[in-house]
Amino acid sequence: MRGLPLFRCGGGSTVKGNFLNILRIFILVVVALLFVAPFYWVIVTSLNTQSQALQYPPIFLPHWHVANYVRAWSEAPWVQYFVNTVFIAFATTLLVLVTSLLAGFAFGAMEFPGKTILFGGFLAIMMVPQTVLLIPDYILMQNLNWLNTYWAQIVPWGASVFGIFMLRQFFLSFPVEYWEAAQIDGASRFRFLWQFGLPSARPALITIGLYIFIGSWNSFLWPYIMTSTPAVQPIEVGLATFLGTNGTDWVGLSAAVVYTTLPVLIIFLIAQRQFMEGAYSGSGGLKG
Amino acid sequence: MNRRRKRQEAISAYLYLSPAMLIFLVFTIAPALFVLYISTFNWNFLNQSMSTFIGLQNYTHLLTSANFWHSLLITLYFVVGSVPIGVFGALLLAILLMKPFRGRGLLRLLFFIPYVTPIVATSIVWLWLFNPQFGLFNALLQLVHLPQIGWVQSERFAMPSVILYTLWHGIGFNVIIFMSGLTTIPSELGEAARMDGANAWQEFWHVTWPMLSPTTLFVVIINTVGALQAFTQFFTLTGGGPIDATTTTSFFLYQQAFVFYHTGYAAAMAVVLFAIIAVLTFVQLRLSRMRTFYQ
Repeated sequence: MRGLPLFRCGGGSTVKGNFLNILRIFILVVVALLFVAPFYWVIVTSLNTQSQALQYPPIFLPHWHVANYVRAWSEAPWVQYFVNTVFIAFATTLLVLVTSLLAGFAFGAMEFPGKTILFGGFLAIMMVPQTVLLIPDYILMQNLNWLNTYWAQIVPWGASVFGIFMLRQFFLSFPVEYWEAAQIDGASRFRFLWQFGLPSARPALITIGLYIFIGSWNSFLWPYIMTSTPAVQPIEVGLATFLGTNGTDWVGLSAAVVYTTLPVLIIFLIAQRQFMEGAYSGSGGLKG
Repeated sequence: MNRRRKRQEAISAYLYLSPAMLIFLVFTIAPALFVLYISTFNWNFLNQSMSTFIGLQNYTHLLTSANFWHSLLITLYFVVGSVPIGVFGALLLAILLMKPFRGRGLLRLLFFIPYVTPIVATSIVWLWLFNPQFGLFNALLQLVHLPQIGWVQSERFAMPSVILYTLWHGIGFNVIIFMSGLTTIPSELGEAARMDGANAWQEFWHVTWPMLSPTTLFVVIINTVGALQAFTQFFTLTGGGPIDATTTTSFFLYQQAFVFYHTGYAAAMAVVLFAIIAVLTFVQLRLSRMRTFYQ
């Protein structure tokens, strides 16, 4: 039930306790409103005319001027950007799920020499910063002829330490009896993983998939460096290009921000529980 | 029979590991070594065969460059300005959120939302808020008769502005992690402390804080490493400017590698940055071994 509001009012029974409790909730509400204010402001700006947006004192209410959306939409190949982003994000997610499921199963449910060392090595990979990899990977892509392709944006991100770690934790707690029973039935290990491991690992796979999907959608520096034409560029790179060419059209820019960010927000709001608990397990995992 | 089975299990385990291993090997491990190699060359960006080996010259050049040292200072400013507030602010919010009340789940959600939004998109929103002529922040300052400031366009306030955005974007993640850390502390400990007459502050300082230290350490490391690598908000909000007021080492590296094509020089910088991140993480882990409380 984590993630749902709880209908109980805590706090002391004394007058002082009650006052402190109200003060606490008041502070939290004010801070939370400050956190959402930028979202409100970009929506208001996107629905006002340029002169309304530049006016002093500021106008705090939208005037439903949807022409900004029409103009912004017509000024860049957004459909192409969306198609690219969705394709790259889906392909990356699928690849990560496959590689994580296989590796997580091996680490969690199988015995082999060098397991501990190899697992330590996998965790150490997380230490290598993306900034450090930018130059050598760029040259690698150059030599593979992968610059300005989908490949360069999918394959290097096709394995995730976070994903492997989560599935390893899952298969560690997977009862051995199931595998023993499957062996008596003559099932191969792969069939066991496919027919039994995969469905039971679904919650973990969903969390990993959501994080990888949003991460891919939000990525900027890597695709910005590795691509050069809108034909393969994702939406955030497109948005940065749009900022470069339409930098003073604040109402059009705001509209573009709204419709490019909306899909991310919708996915997050639908699956907020998985996101919150994913953050928990990510931290719990690293500590162990 | 048993030995054969063990061998078979090992072989299939390695088969299962191979896709992930291959990707890591080609795109992470080999490049991490390759960057060392590049850093010893006067690398020709357009024609690799024209590159010449120059030994450690890129490193001597780097370590005697005022721009590089300046970028380290700017990075330090960013880390010191964003990490402690991000950690302690989040801890405070998490503690305030711990006792259940109606609507608590919604508030926690609102703190977390910025973290999942793309940095390019939301920093454009903040660029608009920061706009010195027409932005909301200066309009609000004017409404309450306070002097207006240049925000991202002034040398003095550019970095605080980027820090403000970064805190807004990332603090919700820390709040979630701290809340999960706080729920793992057994409530009997706090009750026992209160029975012994401890006040709220004493309870926090002697029970909550030490019990929470593994979580705090994790948040500090994640935030520090993240701050050392931060790029996108600098790219959209300030472009490293005005002049070089927000040119962090990560941004300087990007400029040298992909704007000026000083590939070898930038590779040397990448190696130094990697070393700094590794040493900092090691030191933080080491410090924690001395100070944290383990159950």
